[in-house]
Amino acid sequence: MQENKHIIELKYLTKYYKGSSVPAIDNINLNIDKGEIYGLLGPNGAGKTTTISILCGLFGPTSGNVFIDGMEYQHSSEKIKNIIGVVPQEIALYPSLTAKENLTFFGHMYGLKGKELKTRIDECLEMFGLMKNANRRIKTFSGGMKRRINLIAGILHKPKIIYLDEPTVGVDVQSRNVILEHLKNINKEGTTIIYTSHYMEEAEHFCSKVAIIDKGNILTEGKPKDLIKSREEYTDLESIFLNITGRALRDE
Amino acid sequence: MRRLFSSINKEFLVLIRDRAGLAILFIMPLVLIIIMTIIQDATFKTVKEVDISMILVNNDKDSLGEAISQGLYESKYFNIVEEINGEKITDEKAKELVATGEYKIGIIIPERATDAIRGNVNTLINKSFKSFNIPGVKKRTKKSTVNVTIYIDPATSPSFKNMVMSSLKEFTSQLEIEMFFKNFSLAMAQLMPDQKPVKFESFETIKYQEIYASTSGDEMLPNSVQHNVPAWTMFAMFFIVLPLAGNIIKEREEGSAFRLKTMPGSYVTIMFSKIFLFLGVAFLQFILMILVGVYIMPNIGLPQLEIGPHKIALGVMALASGLAATGYGVAIGTIATTHEQAATFGAVSIIIFAALGGIWVPVYVMPPAMRIISQFSPLHWGLNGFYDILLRGGDLTVVLAETAKLLFFFILMLMVAIVYNNYKKTK
Repeated sequence: MQENKHIIELKYLTKYYKGSSVPAIDNINLNIDKGEIYGLLGPNGAGKTTTISILCGLFGPTSGNVFIDGMEYQHSSEKIKNIIGVVPQEIALYPSLTAKENLTFFGHMYGLKGKELKTRIDECLEMFGLMKNANRRIKTFSGGMKRRINLIAGILHKPKIIYLDEPTVGVDVQSRNVILEHLKNINKEGTTIIYTSHYMEEAEHFCSKVAIIDKGNILTEGKPKDLIKSREEYTDLESIFLNITGRALRDE
Repeated sequence: MRRLFSSINKEFLVLIRDRAGLAILFIMPLVLIIIMTIIQDATFKTVKEVDISMILVNNDKDSLGEAISQGLYESKYFNIVEEINGEKITDEKAKELVATGEYKIGIIIPERATDAIRGNVNTLINKSFKSFNIPGVKKRTKKSTVNVTIYIDPATSPSFKNMVMSSLKEFTSQLEIEMFFKNFSLAMAQLMPDQKPVKFESFETIKYQEIYASTSGDEMLPNSVQHNVPAWTMFAMFFIVLPLAGNIIKEREEGSAFRLKTMPGSYVTIMFSKIFLFLGVAFLQFILMILVGVYIMPNIGLPQLEIGPHKIALGVMALASGLAATGYGVAIGTIATTHEQAATFGAVSIIIFAALGGIWVPVYVMPPAMRIISQFSPLHWGLNGFYDILLRGGDLTVVLAETAKLLFFFILMLMVAIVYNNYKKTK
């Protein structure tokens, strides 16, 4: 086990999908520090989802190494899965179950049980303003409420690392505000957050560090403020993003 | 273990809250076995219970016409129609009625048909007694053929047509024997005037004793219920493949599968929870269908299902069949990428398995190549096992081979799903 301040280390990471001669990610080296809110930004097809999928252990890279808190999936898959929490872009919940039933099920999957689980569910529902809807079925929820439950399902077990794939897509301003505010609070308690988004303004204010990636390569990396400062002609992250990745339309 | 129980509980809640899905899972199979058993009941019924309308145009008005007419009426296989609206049916009308499909069969007995047969019998006797030169016996040597026309609706099943033909042959051959015997007797009387002519008496010289062979000696009479309930139960149980595969695909499409794969614990645990729940559903379906056979069918004019003494064997076969079906569902749900793929492939493949398994046409009447292929159908193993218990009186030891094959199929399907899942990870 490696002991250092990087909670995530990607070393010479390359991924080719079967039948493709173009790498989805191409020899990436990346270190993410503990307690960071790290934004992976890029246009469609840049390699964000592939990177997140490898970080979640859904599949392995073609070459290179991934260290999560000093561990590798090949040797410590179960240990890694216990310290990560994933919040997918889709509402990955069971629509016919209530909020509480969904969270109880996912809590059990993370090994939580009994009073500890019940307390944690109540705490999270309270935190995200969903306590009074705890016994309603998910299919009756609004988009914003679903997003919040989707998020709770990924943080229920207090993971060391949270992967957020566009957590605020399609939600109203109020829900977005609640989600980001609570994520910042969770981060303050020491949780590392890996975040992907197409909302550059949101990323600029939410992330402590970002990497702009395209065509499987990291084009630039740093604190949003530093990136803006280093390019005098630009005043925001979106302008830099467009300058680096180009203005041409992207399809997956 | 907690993960497994929690996952089973989740699957149970998802299942019971889908009312339409529940209705499909439990009501449709019951409707299927009741309808199929009623439809197929006719093929198992006794002679008295069948009533098929048939046209008879008797232009002969003599012994042959009478023999055929009497035979058809007495057989009670058929409802004989000779007139419509008080008018005798003509040859042309009979042909028209059969051609339009209004009647399945029309029999036309030509004029003077009996004379022709009588002449043929005399010719035969003349030949036999040629050297005796008996004065009363006509010297006739010309043979004539009697053409009884039978109009058949092309939509008539070959087995029904064969039944009619064999009945007609039976009536006419008996008449021929009777005529031959009478004329022979008359000829003999001429040769030996002191002897009284012997009166013709028909009696059965050979009797056929039908005994349904069973391994246990228990007598279970084969009937539509005994045949159809296990056959369609197997068929319906395999249709659990569709909701199970749909459940797996839905979980994948909604993103829950993605989330579950990032969580601790093997994804196999999740699959086992689905197998466990759907196996329970399949077993419940089986029990309900058996109960329908025992309690409902006798109340709708069908025979009662006799489950016999080997209830444990029946339960084991049901569980093995349920496992085979759920294993197949997991494999299809894992490999298919859309609901449409799973539904189409799943349904069609089950129908193929059922056809090969002998659910519609018995395996023993299939061409040799198909008989070999049918040995690889899980529905064939299941059906054979159920027939062993419900028709042949077999116990658990008799169905061990079928049970083992079904369990092997279940394991094979799970392996296919696991290997495919791992293959997808490497893509």
